[in-house]
Amino acid sequence: MKKKIIAIMLVLLLICLTACNTGSGNGVSSNASASDNNSGTDSQEEGGNATAEDNDPFGKYENPVVLKIGRSIDPLQVYPEGQSPESNQYTDYIKEQLNIEIEVIWSAAAGNDYKQKVNLAIASNDLPDAMVVENAQMRNAVKADQLEDLTKAFDDYVSPVVKSFFDATDNQAVSDVTFDGKMVAYPNTSVAASGIHNMWIRQDWLDELGLEAPKTMEELKEVAQAFLDNDMAGGGNTIPIAGPDTNGKLYANFLASGNNTYGFDPIFSAFQSYPGYWIHNENGEVVYGSITSETKDALAALADLYASGLIDKEIGIRERTEEIVKAGKTGMFFGPWHAVYSWLDVVQADPTVNWQSYLLPLDSDGEVNLHMNAVTFSYCVVRKGYEHPEAVIKMANLLVRDEQTFDVSVLPVADYPLRVNNAVRDECEFTVSALRDVLNGDKTLDDFTDLEKQVYKLLVSDINAVKGVKTEPYDDMNIANWNFDGDNSTAWGRTYALLVGCGPIVDTEYNEVYSLLYAQTPLMESRWVNLKKLEDETFLKIIMGIEPVDSFDAFVDEWLDIGGADVTAEVADTVS
Amino acid sequence: MRNKRFTRQYYLLLIPGFLWLLLFSIIPMFGIVMAFQDFNPGKGIFGSPFIGLDNFRYMLKLKDVKSIFFNTVFISMLKIVGNLAVPMIFALLLNELRYKKLAKPIQTIVYLPHFISWVVFASILLNIFGYNGPINTILSMFGVDPVLFWGRPNLFPYLVAGTDVWKEFGYNTIIYLAALTGIDPGLHEAAALDGAGRFRRLLHITLPGIKTTVILLVVLSLRNVLNAGFDQIFILYNPLVYSTGDIIDTWVYRMGILNMQYSLSTAVGLLKSVVSLILISTSYFLAKKFAGYNLF
Repeated sequence: MKKKIIAIMLVLLLICLTACNTGSGNGVSSNASASDNNSGTDSQEEGGNATAEDNDPFGKYENPVVLKIGRSIDPLQVYPEGQSPESNQYTDYIKEQLNIEIEVIWSAAAGNDYKQKVNLAIASNDLPDAMVVENAQMRNAVKADQLEDLTKAFDDYVSPVVKSFFDATDNQAVSDVTFDGKMVAYPNTSVAASGIHNMWIRQDWLDELGLEAPKTMEELKEVAQAFLDNDMAGGGNTIPIAGPDTNGKLYANFLASGNNTYGFDPIFSAFQSYPGYWIHNENGEVVYGSITSETKDALAALADLYASGLIDKEIGIRERTEEIVKAGKTGMFFGPWHAVYSWLDVVQADPTVNWQSYLLPLDSDGEVNLHMNAVTFSYCVVRKGYEHPEAVIKMANLLVRDEQTFDVSVLPVADYPLRVNNAVRDECEFTVSALRDVLNGDKTLDDFTDLEKQVYKLLVSDINAVKGVKTEPYDDMNIANWNFDGDNSTAWGRTYALLVGCGPIVDTEYNEVYSLLYAQTPLMESRWVNLKKLEDETFLKIIMGIEPVDSFDAFVDEWLDIGGADVTAEVADTVS
Repeated sequence: MRNKRFTRQYYLLLIPGFLWLLLFSIIPMFGIVMAFQDFNPGKGIFGSPFIGLDNFRYMLKLKDVKSIFFNTVFISMLKIVGNLAVPMIFALLLNELRYKKLAKPIQTIVYLPHFISWVVFASILLNIFGYNGPINTILSMFGVDPVLFWGRPNLFPYLVAGTDVWKEFGYNTIIYLAALTGIDPGLHEAAALDGAGRFRRLLHITLPGIKTTVILLVVLSLRNVLNAGFDQIFILYNPLVYSTGDIIDTWVYRMGILNMQYSLSTAVGLLKSVVSLILISTSYFLAKKFAGYNLF
């Protein structure tokens, strides 16, 4: 009997899974309208005295404004005593400065969990007042007419500095989020460096073996082999090259075009292969980068590395790659400049761990190729009918103005509610040059204009900190020449990430490759999922030797057959 | 009179259960209309446009759908066979145990994994069969190269079924033990007097004695053919084993919840429900015919 009931429950589970969405959707929409009414009366009470000064980008509300948000949480983040995802130094600061009370109504672990939670919110038509979403999610919410028009709030309240970030994108940032003349989201404005993936390598291991950083794919294999043969991590635990985990990607793609830590982007680029990007082929035709012959070559090289035991055996299956990298088991990984930003605990635990980064390996012509990220890729959206859409704009203004006053060693700035990172595209490169000038004694803080100090929002704190963190000789970036004790521990992460991670971007000449498109076309909405699944599965299998490299050709045929050809035609149409 | 009052109380007791069923199972069933719509969450199921059978047509075009139906049936068949055979054999062995005092502790110990949720049990399994896990350590002692168990499509269904049996056989053993206690000990004594050994008695008394139970369980498990166990597979699988490990439920989850293809996933879910309904009806019919099992 019990089994029978369980069986019936299981059978009905599926119906529930799909149908509950609608069921609860109806229930919730009536709730939502009820709360709309409530907030309506609230605002009538507040009405005349909501903001003392009209259109002040930093204006403090006289009566507290409640903003209910959904947020993602880094599962590894340890909150200091008295702080939590719901209440921390950032929510306190926002309350104090703007009189906005942040209420976290739900949270989920960053990655797939958060994505799922957002999708459920959209599907059940039950959005929090505001949350941060991806491009495809924004488009779905727009289709469902769930988002508040932010055009007026943005125009009226955006601070001049933030406005200058948007202007610097040639209006790209605004047009990315404008649908039918309405601005439906507040986007990030990305830093170019965050879409560039460096090769990070344990310099102390190289030095111990008397090796140089590998410049070509052949050298990369030799160095990795040397790491393995000499068991640099000890105890037979050496994993020469780290790879993506279950949440990770083999390479950044046109929909998620940056910040792909632990992917293999530079290896693909070394073969002039740009999987996941829409590019022109040599005949000028639009083609999807994953189906080119260059990509096949790159996969063959990766499969060779994997078969030689040089790449983590558990790529795609491992729960968190960061754990083995921070534990010192790996000798190399690929990731953006900020990959080491929060690794203070690593160097404090072992001050000899010397991660250095390079824009390598080179392609067969000896050049560096980089695929570049989209201008916008994360979006803060506001529920339709929310009374104070300008609140999210004010919070963004405040973050840009005061980010350099925050103590990020207590809690990373990623915990700032609804944070989409707004910056000038060349923030990293400019700051690195500025820091080098200051270290060399060519410039001091006073030599920078007020505008520069505002637009490069962390410039002042970076310059103030750099001489405490970096010790002489200033041009030697090895970990021995850094100071990360006591007061300097706060600034170490950012300064190290900038000078070590972003330095090579300033020093190296490289070819930029942009995707022709960074958003989904209509046909992709129904087709892309299956195409992507085929791609992910095939590539992982090829690299791990479960399928031979030549199965790539069958993959290309199948990809084109099950919708890839139609999608490519549509992309070509959109681009022209 | 007394009897009638007595049954009325029983019906009253059913009310909470029925309310639950109504709220969480019957009412949500109306969501099935999504399968025939181009569902838009903003418009809800009352406002979304109907598009007839388009979702089903697209579904049948997808290669995936065939493979997920096959995987589902294959994995659940393995589970059904395993979950019938292993507990039965184990119950028989336990029953034949000479030192009876051991029977209870053994029964309790093998019963334990049943109470651990899949989330916990799966992470234990991921480690046990991990690349650096104990199984590979033992294999390496025999000179076998470590195997990436969770990345092998050809191993995955068996791992899933095997671990499911491992987790549940203690629980299922109880049903067989109950059936075994129903056998008249007099038969065993009589057979023993006639000179039947242990094996003969097993063959001619024990097995026929539990035959009805076995048939009933076989028949009733038919309806689970399309339930291969969402929570288990969801935690254990990864893109490498999609080809053999992706089942209807996980596919519907990824398609509907991660990728927002609401209507398509409802269509697949509906197809599953229809097939399940047929299987349940068949199994009930067969159960009635072969085991005299009556629900109504």
